[in-house]
Amino acid sequence: MIYRLEAVAKVYPSRGGDVTALGAVSFEVASGERVAVIGPSGAGKTTLFRLLNGTLRPSRGTLRFHDRDVAALSPRQARAMRRRIGTIHQQGLLVPSLSVLENTLCGALGSWSLLRAVRTAISPGRADLERAMAALAQVGLSDKRDARADELSGGQQQRVAIARLVMQDPEVILADEPFAALDPALTASIAALLGGLADAGRTLVCTLHDVALALRLFPRIIALRGGRVAFDLPSDAVSKGALDELYRGAPAAPLDLLPASPSPSPHEPTAAC
Amino acid sequence: MSRPPRAELGPAWIAGIAIAAVIASAVAADVRLSSLLDPASHDAVRGFVRGLFPPDVSRSFVRVVALAAMRTIAIAVTGTALSIVVALPLGILATATLFRRGPLVESEPRTPGGVVLAWLSVLARGVLGFLRAVPDLAWALFFVVGVGLGPVPGVLALAVSYGGVLGRVCADLFEDVDVRPLEALRATGATRAQIFLFGIWPQAVPSMVAYTLYSFECCVRAAAVLGLVGAGGIGYEIALSMRLFEYGQIVTLTGALLLLVWLTEAGSAALRRLLRANAPPGMLAHRRLRQGTPGRGARNLALGIAAAVVVACAVATGFFDGDVFDASTGSRMAHFAGALVPPELAPAYLQTLAWPVAQTVGISVIGTLLGVVIGVLLGIPATAPHPEDDRSWGTAGLVRAALRRLCRLALSLLRAIPEVLWVLVFILAVGLGPFAGTLALGVHTGGVMGKLYADTFEEVSPLPLRGLRATGATGLQILLWGTWPEARRMLVSYTVLRWEMNLRASTVVGLAGGGGIGIELYNQMQLGFYPRVATLLLVVYVLVTATGWIGDRIRRRFTAKALDAGRAIAGEPMIG
Repeated sequence: MIYRLEAVAKVYPSRGGDVTALGAVSFEVASGERVAVIGPSGAGKTTLFRLLNGTLRPSRGTLRFHDRDVAALSPRQARAMRRRIGTIHQQGLLVPSLSVLENTLCGALGSWSLLRAVRTAISPGRADLERAMAALAQVGLSDKRDARADELSGGQQQRVAIARLVMQDPEVILADEPFAALDPALTASIAALLGGLADAGRTLVCTLHDVALALRLFPRIIALRGGRVAFDLPSDAVSKGALDELYRGAPAAPLDLLPASPSPSPHEPTAAC
Repeated sequence: MSRPPRAELGPAWIAGIAIAAVIASAVAADVRLSSLLDPASHDAVRGFVRGLFPPDVSRSFVRVVALAAMRTIAIAVTGTALSIVVALPLGILATATLFRRGPLVESEPRTPGGVVLAWLSVLARGVLGFLRAVPDLAWALFFVVGVGLGPVPGVLALAVSYGGVLGRVCADLFEDVDVRPLEALRATGATRAQIFLFGIWPQAVPSMVAYTLYSFECCVRAAAVLGLVGAGGIGYEIALSMRLFEYGQIVTLTGALLLLVWLTEAGSAALRRLLRANAPPGMLAHRRLRQGTPGRGARNLALGIAAAVVVACAVATGFFDGDVFDASTGSRMAHFAGALVPPELAPAYLQTLAWPVAQTVGISVIGTLLGVVIGVLLGIPATAPHPEDDRSWGTAGLVRAALRRLCRLALSLLRAIPEVLWVLVFILAVGLGPFAGTLALGVHTGGVMGKLYADTFEEVSPLPLRGLRATGATGLQILLWGTWPEARRMLVSYTVLRWEMNLRASTVVGLAGGGGIGIELYNQMQLGFYPRVATLLLVVYVLVTATGWIGDRIRRRFTAKALDAGRAIAGEPMIG
């Protein structure tokens, strides 16, 4: 088992009283599986996601990664865990002022010493450069290597994020709404890239709000509602009734006031696709 | 964790408190408008102005001026370079998001090493605050004890006090970078040091370059003032000519100072363009230039030239001379520092400080207000319309452009002459005392604020203004309904920040005869009562810290929305 969750809960302290983002979620993910996590906004998808990639710790319950309790990991061991898990976000979340090439190189940070990172920041070594260029070629962005990340369009940024993932070479890929900011054509190309990576034996867990897409691309669906698992079924067993139930009168997200994407600054050049 | 909502003061209360504070300040600062109308002071000023002409441009004096100008530049360059050395390590350590709070820290388990680092981080912030709070002139006097009179104590004073400023700016910039890319880096298994190197540093470095260059511009002016400790330079020459009643020389010297400041500004703007270094909106020295990665060649060339200039300037100030730092430098400074403790805290002495402290605060408040008035009066006409919207042409357009140039010129004249030198002029007009200090502070602040106001107005996006113009609004209406709401947040922030700086400046103005706690500091230093000097430095530190706190509150009231949004992205967990 890659992941084993037993009654995992996450509670955020907040001024107006504690907010329970996830309450007692249990499921397992086996090596090589492809799973989509769906549910209305505010269901706890992003929190679950950050628990799975090791950047949050559960408030209650145990989350095991390769049968080791994540809460018991030292900072060093936690970093080693994150190194084996690749994450894709809704927006690329690249470092805006670094070049495409440098952003790609960042994927290998987890396996580098500080000294090597300093050296790479000044001038990357030949082997790393070749790996990064190969990753960029795989996503079709070789010609953009020296562009600043914030000059790219959304789809291009997402492809750089995937190149970074290739550079990281993780065994698990977590993708949080990877298609949310993309048009249908780009969605197909990014989905193909992710599928190609998963075909190499990697585990893929993906949150999606587009149910049709989830049913078509993923053999297993986990549905969250109000911080709990509503159902966990093979996608051909998901009924229309279950979906209606999932999205009916979805409670408004407790903190759903954050904009989905940062509003564009009037100063930034808007990149065209 | 729920806290009851704190009761906020109503607008009427705040207005009342503000008016009372201003009246109290005016009393403390000894504002006597009648002294401005006094015929005797008119005669003094008339004599001064008449004495200014003709300017002294004899060959021998121009040589003196040129040497002084070069010395000033050399001190400023070396001081700025050293201030970066002071600022970077302290600034990194003081960065809260690396060691104390935020997602990079909070989701890791607490380790003893982490707790120690968190404490060191708080300490670093305190040290930076102290370096900033002590006026640079006081630092210079301290270093004179260690290395003797000359340019080197001036360099060290700039390094320490601007190191404090830059260090704080570094920490703030590092804290303000977008955390989401950092989270993404953390998810790849990067360590904190690596996240800093690949996530924080590249995002902050353009602003840091911009701010360092701005700080260098300030250093040039400060270097002119440090002549008072025997560092030489233009400020020293102005003070000398003032004392010798050689007013004709003052015109030449002031002209040279203006030229120096303009050249510095032009040079730093060119360097910023070469490096594509922008400060973020809301920062001093913010001026958006074209985006893009500087080419490796351009960057290396700029760095190489900068390094060569720094070394040349350090040599010129005598920094590497064998006899400046000797075996006893350390022990002399340690002895001096030892004489400062314990500070004299006897109630009888502290009581005598109450009035000078009130004067200092009064000078800073009234001086800043005067600066705001001058800044608004000159800053609004100095604002250039957006190039695409400049529709005035013909005679009216020419007049407007000429007026704009004239206002800009006046602003840079007010700004280029440091407060300490303005004091010398105003002492002629209204005599020694806090009122002269207030006027000096106000005039210099007016020059600074006017430029900032004009620059900020020019930064406002032209699109909403076009919309207003399309409805038939007049220029003044557009200013009130379009420009002001857009620029308000930054203007308030600048003004409050300037007030905080002016509190420190008002102690320095005091050193030159402008009243307040500065005169007391100067006297005790001359008399060698070091425990009292220590007390006074402590008082200055407390005052500056207190102003910082009040300033933060004022800024927060005006920018609450922006801060909340920032906190939501930076600190609070995202749910969904």
